[in-house]
Amino acid sequence: MSPELLFEQALNGLSFGALLFILAAGLSLVFGMMDVVNLAHGAFYMLGAYVALSVVQRTGSFWLALVVAPLALGILGVILEPLLLRRLRGRHLDQVLLTIGVSLVIVDQIGAIWGREVRSLAAPAGLDGSVPLVGGEYPVYRLFVIGFGVLLAAVVSVVHQRTKVGMLIRAGVEDAEMLGALGVNTDRLFAATFAVGAALAGLAGVVAAPVFGLQPGMDGDALIYSLVVVVVGGLGTLGGAIAGSALVGPADTFGKVLFQEFALAVIFAIVALVLLFRPTGLLGRIRVAR
Amino acid sequence: MSGFSKKNELAARRSYTYRLTRRQFLIATSAAALAACSPAAVTPGASGSAAPSATAGKMLKLGQLLPATGVYTELGNSMKRATELYLDQNDRKLAGRPVQLIYEDDANVTATGIQKTQKFIDQDKVDAMLGVVPTPLAYGIRNAVHAAKLIFIDTNAGGNFLTRDIPNCTPACKSPYIFRASFSSYQISYPIGDYLSSKGTKEFFLAYANYGFGTESAGDFMTGLKKNGGTTTGNVAPPLGNADFAPFVTQIKNQPTKNVYSFFSGADAIGFIKTWNSLGLPAAGYKMYGAGFLTEQDVLKEVKDLANGAITSLFWAVELDNPENKSFVSAYQRQYTLLPDVFAVQAYDGMHALDEALKKIGADTSDPDKVSKALEDVSFKSPRGDFMFDKNTHNPVQDIYIREVKTQNGQTVNTISDKVAKVTDPGK
Repeated sequence: MSPELLFEQALNGLSFGALLFILAAGLSLVFGMMDVVNLAHGAFYMLGAYVALSVVQRTGSFWLALVVAPLALGILGVILEPLLLRRLRGRHLDQVLLTIGVSLVIVDQIGAIWGREVRSLAAPAGLDGSVPLVGGEYPVYRLFVIGFGVLLAAVVSVVHQRTKVGMLIRAGVEDAEMLGALGVNTDRLFAATFAVGAALAGLAGVVAAPVFGLQPGMDGDALIYSLVVVVVGGLGTLGGAIAGSALVGPADTFGKVLFQEFALAVIFAIVALVLLFRPTGLLGRIRVAR
Repeated sequence: MSGFSKKNELAARRSYTYRLTRRQFLIATSAAALAACSPAAVTPGASGSAAPSATAGKMLKLGQLLPATGVYTELGNSMKRATELYLDQNDRKLAGRPVQLIYEDDANVTATGIQKTQKFIDQDKVDAMLGVVPTPLAYGIRNAVHAAKLIFIDTNAGGNFLTRDIPNCTPACKSPYIFRASFSSYQISYPIGDYLSSKGTKEFFLAYANYGFGTESAGDFMTGLKKNGGTTTGNVAPPLGNADFAPFVTQIKNQPTKNVYSFFSGADAIGFIKTWNSLGLPAAGYKMYGAGFLTEQDVLKEVKDLANGAITSLFWAVELDNPENKSFVSAYQRQYTLLPDVFAVQAYDGMHALDEALKKIGADTSDPDKVSKALEDVSFKSPRGDFMFDKNTHNPVQDIYIREVKTQNGQTVNTISDKVAKVTDPGK
C-alpha cells in the first residue's frame, strides 16, 4: 500500500468513524442512563434521514434539515419515553423488546409514507465538490463529516464534564435511584435523555444521507454498527463511544480492502477479541451491583 | 452488569405492581402492533377442496411469488404493476380463461419463499406460478416445482444454473417445467466482454458485489473478454449491501487500469456511482462499464448525469425503438404515471408467454407436459424485441443492447449504441 493510498484510506476510515460516533453516542447515552439497549436506534437514524429528505425537497436547504430532523426525533423521543418505556421501568428486557416493536412500526410507517425505493440526498452546496489532497481529489463532504464528528465529540465532552446537565447525567449513570432520592426529577431526566439519544440518531441520519443514501434496511445496518461501537468502546460511557468509533471506523475500512473475503467478519472479529480480553469494552467500567 | 440482573429480580418480586401498567401498555400499543403486522400478501377467494380447474372457460389460477417487504420491495411492486397491466389489457383473461391471481410475499427470505411455493402447490393448487426475484430462492424452489410438475415462469432470478444441465443438479438445474422470461447472468455479462475486447478495449479492472450473482457476472464477463485476448488486472469485491464505497473506489483510483467493469444494482449502484464521482475518477480518466442493472431506471433517477458515459449491456432500455416498446412504455406510464423498468418488462413478458402458450392448446392446463411443449414453441414481439425460449434450456434467446448513459433534454437515459444479436445461453 503506497503512502498516498494509505493516507486516503485513513481519511475514509476516519470519516466513517466520525459518522459512527454521531450514531453511537445516542445509543450509549441512553444505555448509560436508563440501562436500556434501545434497539429502535437504527429506526430513529433512518427516520432522521427521511425527514431530512423531505425538508431538502421542500426547502432546498440541507442546513435546515440538519436542525429540523434532530428536533423532530427529539420530540418523538420525549413523547415515546413517558408513553411507553416509563411504564416498564425496571423491567429492562421488556423495555428492550418494546424498542424492537417501536422500530418495526417506525420502519413500516417510513415505507408507507416515503415509499420503498432507494433514494439519495445531495451534499449541500459548497460541500459537494472535491479538493486536491495527497493522492488526488478528495470529497469535501467527507472532510466535513470528520470535522463535524470531532466538534460534536468536543461539545458533548464539555457538556458532560463541565455543566450541571452533564453532572446529572454522570450521577444518573452512576445510580439513578439515589439521584431520585436526592430530589432530582428522574422522570424528566430520563425523558430528556431518551429525547437527546433519539435526536443524536436523527442527526446521524442527516449527516450520513449524502454519503450512504436512503433505502429499506438501512436501519438494521446502522443498529448493528452502533452496537458494535458501544460494545467495543464500553457500554454507556461517552469515552467509550469515542474510542469505539475511532477504532471501528478505520478498522472496518482497512479490513474491507485488505481482507476482502472477510470484509464483513473483520469488525466482528474485533468485537470478539475485545470481549475476550476486556469484557467491559475498551473504556467500560465494571458496574457496581446495587 | 450484575446491577442489571439484580434489578430484574426486584422487578419480578414486585410484579403485582405492574399488572395495571401492562394493561395500559397493551392499550397504548395495540394499534401500533396492528400496523406492524400489515397484510403483505393478498389472497383473494377461498380455495382448498376444489380440484384444479383445467379446461377452457374455467378460472385460471396463477400464483405470483414476489417480495412485498424487504430490500427488493420496489422491484416486486414494479413486476406486480406490469402483471396487472397485462391483465387489464386483456380483459383480465389469458387465452379466454378468466384469471385469478394469488400474490404471496417471500419477504426476501428464502425459507419463507419456499413455504409460499409449497402453499401454491398444496393448498391453492395453482395452474402456473410466476415471479421470484432472488436467485437463491429460485434455486431453493426448483426441486419442489419440478417434482410437482408445476409450470414456473421465472420473471427475474438470473442465476445461470436454473436453465442449465448440471451434474447432480447442485445447486440447481433446468427442468421441463421451468421457463425464464428474464435473462441468465451470462447473457448480461459475457456479450459485453466479448464486444468490448473485439473493439480493442482489452484491459479491465473488476468491481463487483461479493455474492453469488455478482461473482457469476464478473466470471462471465472475464470469459467474454478472454475470447479476444483481453485481460483483467485485479478486482475489488465489496459485500452485498455495502454502506461505504469510499474504501473500494479509493483502491480503484490507486491502480493504473482505467477501464472498470462493475456489477452493482439498486442501492449499491447508487452508492458506487456517487462515490466514483466524488473521488474524482472521471477527471482522472477512469471509465465505467457494467452489466445493465448498474444504470437502470431506479439508479439513474437518483444519480442523474453522474452516470453519463457509463457503458452497460442489457436486453432492454426505455429508449428502445420498436412499436411494442413504445406502446408498452406509454400504456405503463398512462396507468401508473411513471416509467417502466426492466423488471416490469420481464413480468409483462412472463404473462405474455403464458398467454401465447395457452392459446396454442385451447387453454387446457390439465397436462403440464403439454403446457411445457406449448411454451417451448412460443414466439412473439416483446418490448425487448423478438421473444422466444431456447428449446433446450428454456432460457430466452435475445438481443443484448450495448447502451451508453447520456443526458438529453434534462433527462438521463440509456441510449442504444449497438447490439449483439440473438444471444443464447451456452447451457445444454
